[in-house]
Amino acid sequence: MGKDTMESVKKLFTTQSAKVDTNRGGEYYTDLYETCRKRLDELKALPVVNNKLDFQQTIMDEGLDRRDFLKWASATTAMLMLPASFTPLVAEAAQVMNRIPVVWIELSDCAGNSEALLRSDGPKIDKIVLDIISLEFHETLQAAAGHQAEKQLEEAIELFKGKYLLFVEGAVPLGMDGQYGTIGAKAETFKDHLLRLASSAAAVIAVGSCATYGGIPAAAPNPTESVGVMDVVSGKPIINIPACPANPANMVGVVLHYVLTGKIPELDSLLRPKFAFGYRIHDNCERRAHFDAGEYVEEWGDNGAKNNFCLYKMGCKGPMTFNNCSIVRYNEAVNWPIGVGRGCIGCSEPDFWDKYAYERPMANANIKAPTGGVERTVDEFGLALLTAAGIGIGIHAVASAVAGKKNSEKDA
Amino acid sequence: MKVKYLIEKIEGEAELEFDFKNGLVDNVNISFPFYRGIEEILKDRDVMDALVITPRVCGICNHAHLIASVRAIENGLSKAGINIYLTQKAISLREFTLSCEIVHSHFKWFYLVALPQLLNLDGIKKPDNYILKASWASTNIVKALAIFSGQWPHASYAVPGGVSCDPTYEDIIQAEALVDEVTRFVENELIGMSIDEYHKAKEISNIKGDMATIFGMMAKQNMKEKGKSYDRFVVLGEHPIFQSGLYNKKYSNDISFAHIKEQTQHNSKAKSVTYKDMCYEVGPLARAILVKNDFILNLHDKYKDSALTRVYARLDETIRLLVYMKSLLANLNVKELSCTLAKMPKAFEASGVGIVEAARGSLIHQSIIKDGKIQKYNIITPTQWNLSSGTQKEAGVAVQAMKGSVSIKEATFVFRTFDVCSVCTTQ
Repeated sequence: MGKDTMESVKKLFTTQSAKVDTNRGGEYYTDLYETCRKRLDELKALPVVNNKLDFQQTIMDEGLDRRDFLKWASATTAMLMLPASFTPLVAEAAQVMNRIPVVWIELSDCAGNSEALLRSDGPKIDKIVLDIISLEFHETLQAAAGHQAEKQLEEAIELFKGKYLLFVEGAVPLGMDGQYGTIGAKAETFKDHLLRLASSAAAVIAVGSCATYGGIPAAAPNPTESVGVMDVVSGKPIINIPACPANPANMVGVVLHYVLTGKIPELDSLLRPKFAFGYRIHDNCERRAHFDAGEYVEEWGDNGAKNNFCLYKMGCKGPMTFNNCSIVRYNEAVNWPIGVGRGCIGCSEPDFWDKYAYERPMANANIKAPTGGVERTVDEFGLALLTAAGIGIGIHAVASAVAGKKNSEKDA
Repeated sequence: MKVKYLIEKIEGEAELEFDFKNGLVDNVNISFPFYRGIEEILKDRDVMDALVITPRVCGICNHAHLIASVRAIENGLSKAGINIYLTQKAISLREFTLSCEIVHSHFKWFYLVALPQLLNLDGIKKPDNYILKASWASTNIVKALAIFSGQWPHASYAVPGGVSCDPTYEDIIQAEALVDEVTRFVENELIGMSIDEYHKAKEISNIKGDMATIFGMMAKQNMKEKGKSYDRFVVLGEHPIFQSGLYNKKYSNDISFAHIKEQTQHNSKAKSVTYKDMCYEVGPLARAILVKNDFILNLHDKYKDSALTRVYARLDETIRLLVYMKSLLANLNVKELSCTLAKMPKAFEASGVGIVEAARGSLIHQSIIKDGKIQKYNIITPTQWNLSSGTQKEAGVAVQAMKGSVSIKEATFVFRTFDVCSVCTTQ
């Protein structure tokens, strides 16, 4: 890596944008509250885009009462890093989510994120909220199929021009003129399809590591020359929700934030919402105490494994992976990989198939664990990672410039 | 007359090009316009990386890929002279999690694909949306899976020599409760009677619930005569609940891996696969025939491998698997070891095969390993057996089944009785 690039990368990771700021002062939150209040009133006045399901009814059908719902709302408020006073607003926002049209497309993927969405990895109400989202188009979930579905998509784009959130699942294969992945009767390439739909969207949300960084199709030798959404789409706000699969709680968080504020959430240098990706797995890991005490699993099925010791020596990548799995967990919060003694594989980090890969113990990996404990910020960690590896950061630097701009706009 | 038709809602897209003759489907060319190159990506990687990469082939049957890939490694290690054995606990946990995935996939297929498609074929303009039913049942059963695997989709909890989890009684009780809840869903919604009553029901016409709905419509569409293919079946995976073997007019348990051949097809990124140069059907119907399930054999005697028999076999399997899963949990001894192979040998040479029964049929992983690195990795998915266009000599299984259909709508329903998934087919 050239010196110039190294300098710019250092700058990137030490900018204010990479810090998680959970207390912005009373004045900031008073203003934000007013903005949100106004926004929600405006949304309420709008017609329901798609009235397939009624929120209150659905909650009752699922056997949940208002108390469960408010419990969820306060947890979600905390997840979005907002003060507790915002809880009633978040609850209201959940109920007007069906005013925001969502279009969901699948490119070069395994459909795992759609599966996660449908199977719902979030706690119960997240699932209901996802049912409530006005999915104007989703190949698997909608009733229509084939040509009829294609027509429905075209109509949705026209009707909600400039207003819909475009969720993208899967990488964009650029090799062979895009012929590794085509869609529809006219065999439109994934790239053209994405660009066309993105151009009329309010914002583009890349869900999962394939859409974010190219993911597994982009793993060496990247046979299809796959890239992520942010490498192709320009001129639109982009939000990345990586992980394999992405956690539906974070998908809900992003949509809720947009419903609530009309803006996209604050992002880090990789365009990931900070509310979800501001901390490391390691920071809130249930096995953290064993790390601190120097108690490790050394072999599969050993005494350490039986006692849920730390998986660091087995190659767990929790210390260098930014995500909130250790808090929100998976599949309605029943468990998560570290909970079953299989360490973190770092699936929300760029190029993780090549750099992180689970079975490579930390010492043999191309990355270096940050030292200095939990108090280290994203900025500093970024530096530790880059000095050790410094691979494939070029595209992310470009993306980060966009992120930086967005943050300054937001803060202004 | 040639007509092109796109099939969606199958985790990707397929293109069917129909050839009509005298108003009936005469031939179909099936192609999948999608490719990622997973086998190429696996080359030169640490063998253990296969355990995290191969599940990502498919968002629906990712767990089957995990188990196939761990079996391939274990098979390779045994052949290289390393003693590999699994405790009953590890075997049962793998069986349980794999069964959860199969059941979840069957629910999804039934409520999101089969039922709406049939309603559509019946000309019902605004079919009921079954999303909530599909979502409820499948969410709960994969929750039971995630208790042991950590997450679904894309878990990697199986390791050579066993599993990484060490569940407590509490975990097992939680999983049992989920299986019970889903069983109640099946009893109340899917079959409209208790599972005991179901096992005693001798005729399809006695069954109630959503299953009665689908059979009513299938009878109306004469599906007992449609969708017949070669009536040849193969089951390759070894599981306590299934029986591996072949059926082609008669039963045979003598299967040789050397007879399985993969072939590239022009016009599609998917490869076709044959046994002794013949196309065979894999999946729930094949499993029911090979395990000699009375109920299905009875149907098969009457209606052969028709769309009706195929649909019925998939639903029947869902019910049998739930009973099986309950018994696995009830007999689990938590005191046994989870994993018997503490250390993976570093640099070893091996070539191994791992086969499992996935929701759609037999899934094969083959790996050649040198110095602990993958030299060659080959994946043969169930949908390659069922959904290829065929060989020079004969049409593919699904193509054969679609021949003679009176309309594209009817043919595509037949196509979907195989449970289509494009991401696996092409990888």
